[in-house]
Amino acid sequence: MDSQIHKIHQQLVNKEITCTALVQDKLKSLKQNTNNTVNALLDNLALNLAAKVDAKIAQGESIGLLEGIPFGIKDVYMVQGTLTTASSELLKNYKSAYTATAIQKLLDAGAIPLVKENCDSFGHGSSSENTIFGAVKNAINPDLVGGGSSGGSAVNVAKDYTVFSIGGDTGGSVRQPAGYNNVYGLKPTYGRISRYGLMAYASSTDCVGPIAKSIEDIRIVLNVMSGKDQKDQTTYASAEIAQDAISDAKDIKTVGYFKNFIENDAIDAQIKSDFLSAIEKIKAQGIQVKALDFFESNTLVSTYYTLAMAETASNLSRLDGTNYGNRIEAENLKETYAVTRSENFSEETKRRIVGGNQVLSQGFSDEIYLKGLNLRDQISENFENDFKEVDIIISPVTPNIPPKIGDSLKDPLAMYLSDAYTVGFSLGQLPTLTVPQGTATGLQITAAKNNDELVLKFANFLKDTI
Amino acid sequence: MGKIMTVDVLSSIKGAQPSEAVNKLFEVIKNANTSNNTFNSNHNNSVPLDDLRDDVVIESSAVEKQIIIENFPKEKNGFLVVSKVIEE
Repeated sequence: MDSQIHKIHQQLVNKEITCTALVQDKLKSLKQNTNNTVNALLDNLALNLAAKVDAKIAQGESIGLLEGIPFGIKDVYMVQGTLTTASSELLKNYKSAYTATAIQKLLDAGAIPLVKENCDSFGHGSSSENTIFGAVKNAINPDLVGGGSSGGSAVNVAKDYTVFSIGGDTGGSVRQPAGYNNVYGLKPTYGRISRYGLMAYASSTDCVGPIAKSIEDIRIVLNVMSGKDQKDQTTYASAEIAQDAISDAKDIKTVGYFKNFIENDAIDAQIKSDFLSAIEKIKAQGIQVKALDFFESNTLVSTYYTLAMAETASNLSRLDGTNYGNRIEAENLKETYAVTRSENFSEETKRRIVGGNQVLSQGFSDEIYLKGLNLRDQISENFENDFKEVDIIISPVTPNIPPKIGDSLKDPLAMYLSDAYTVGFSLGQLPTLTVPQGTATGLQITAAKNNDELVLKFANFLKDTI
Repeated sequence: MGKIMTVDVLSSIKGAQPSEAVNKLFEVIKNANTSNNTFNSNHNNSVPLDDLRDDVVIESSAVEKQIIIENFPKEKNGFLVVSKVIEE
């Protein structure tokens, strides 16, 4: 079984390595890296925690599985006392006053935070170029983007700078960079992991998601972070996913895919043929594969962005230089707000806030926002019906290979449309995992709500099948 | 009230204009078919009454208070300073 966590755990327990040496090594790689993945290193904190783990081992005490395992955190999570910038000018100097629930659970399990990772500002982007820390460069080809918005996190995992990283996925921000850098990335069912302490982008689809190099590591980290949290009342209680529960996929009989994702002009020819050959390999294992009807890519992307922009316009209204952020003084309060926001938000963030206020304003809300909500209901209903027919839905992660650095900023509409295969599952709040197999940017595995276990189970099956 | 507010005012962003790229997304929504379905799974995120968290004041820790003060842009004589209030 592949698992970096189990492997490092054994090395620590057998005293083949010290935790301090491990952490020093990772910090050094992060410091020297030229992929722009780092917003801030947490070196003092990490080394202090590593020394404690070493002392425990030296005294013959047992350690937990995650104890001493170094990990990365997308720079949109609160970690008390650390800078939490969301890769933005506005929060460049903002220090977290408290720690996010998901991160606290990892700290409680003994994992060691190394780095606050570069990403698109406030999650606004699909390339990790919308950041004040420099565009994140792809782990495989540095001329290409790292993907977004959790680009720094995916690249750090791919490069082994972190054992796992915690990204955030609102419309594909974990799954797409995972695909672009050939690693695993999970968007769990909405509400499985608490959002408390994750800077809000679009609250109705924001999800905490782990990125790692194996299914087993995703399982371990998912289990630790999951659970009901009084501080996020959209969370629900979930059962732990056991290792042996996902090893055998015999009960998966039917798999579906969306015809229109594959039969269109926008998909790269190689991704299309690779996807179809993956389908053939699944069929060859005796699984029934069904082609399903789904909404047009245009409709999915437009519905997602309409609702996400409306939510982000509301969520980011507190960033005015008085409640939060670098204040730029002007003649009165209203002017201070306006100047602070105009100077400190990126073009992409401003585009989304303005779009959000457009749809929420009088005269437009019925025509666009409420209609968007209605479409979202139709999309969810479509999923409900599909999962009466099939156990799993598989799809490509992206229609194309990663763009060159610089190209996405020139054409925002093309960037929005590149999210065509990820946003639908966000609107449906469904568990979806990117696996680094099948096409150049991987495959997505989706199951019905709350069925994250089945997703991991099918991922194990695919690992041995294609 | 009754005054038309432009997006730059609504957004508190100087000179903000609707963007062409975003307007294209809105056009798709305007032209899409809506249904009169009763299915509304996305509106089921409400919390049962029994599950509401206790209505109590939770005291912040000393370090939390200290960081909140540190984050505030201006301080004068021990007070956090806000901008001049709008008089209109």
